[in-house]
Amino acid sequence: MTGWGKIGTWEDTQAFLGKVIKISHGADAVEMGSIRRWLEPKEFDSPIHTDAQAAKAAGYKGVVAPATMAFTYGIPPYWQPGDESFKFGDEPCQIPIPVIFDVPAPCSLSFATSVEIEFFEPMLIGDRLSCSHKLTDITRKSLSVGKGAFLTQEDTYRNQRSEIVAIAKLVIFRFNPPDKKENDGQQ
Amino acid sequence: MTGNNRNRSITDISPGDVLHTIAMPITLQRLVMEAGANRDLSLIHHDREVAQKTGASDTYANTFFLMGMFERLMREWMGSTGCICKLGPMKMMAFNVVGDTVNFGGEVISVQAESGRVELMLTAHTEKGLTAGCEAIIELPQS
Repeated sequence: MTGWGKIGTWEDTQAFLGKVIKISHGADAVEMGSIRRWLEPKEFDSPIHTDAQAAKAAGYKGVVAPATMAFTYGIPPYWQPGDESFKFGDEPCQIPIPVIFDVPAPCSLSFATSVEIEFFEPMLIGDRLSCSHKLTDITRKSLSVGKGAFLTQEDTYRNQRSEIVAIAKLVIFRFNPPDKKENDGQQ
Repeated sequence: MTGNNRNRSITDISPGDVLHTIAMPITLQRLVMEAGANRDLSLIHHDREVAQKTGASDTYANTFFLMGMFERLMREWMGSTGCICKLGPMKMMAFNVVGDTVNFGGEVISVQAESGRVELMLTAHTEKGLTAGCEAIIELPQS
């Protein structure tokens, strides 16, 4: 659950429906070091992610990154040359989720309720991902935690050859707790 | 290597087959290693005070970690020659917090012999009960 997000009216939210909200460019290319560091905390042992010969024997062109690493390789840098330096009091780094941080809604809180991802082209060493984020559904709903809406974000991950690597759907519930009236941004 | 990592083909499996279980102790160190590796640096996954403000009893595992553990489970079970086609929808029911041992497991729901496609239902449990459920589709070779 996060206590921030872009504030606006439901009309502002509706204006983004069916549109590409944002295009992200992954910070790092697929490479052996980041694959190894990703396998490490999961104690994940599979030779297709570490050994070119084993990967070729399994039908790949070379070492292949784990499929769910598409999420990781699609995340833009938290800082890059030209950005301002972080200062105490600044908002801490937060994983960029466009339906929270780029789509306005009259809501102060949010949490993810469902995620799914379908895989297409494998990620090979040297590949670089970009991700196009689209708002595909808005469903207003009252839950026990408060009144708000389910926002569905469809993320299409592509490699540098424009081949689709993965398509993910993330459903986020954005809401206000019951003691705070839904106010269509009039706060 | 857990789950024996042998290459399974579509003829090796049947609906109702149960995958092996991976028991994963969640420590703050593991969550910090994971956050750095998967790039989800949200504070709830490595800062106890912030996590507790959101209603969790402690720092908790992130979505990428759960999905990555389900990928490990499937990869160990099917070997190197199977493909992961789809993971999800994954529903998260409860936090997997520091101090929990999360047990990742699964079951074969359906098998399509011609296409090689297999539907799985994957689960994460702690001693408090089911914390996440995730549908998955994999594709296995014919032989």
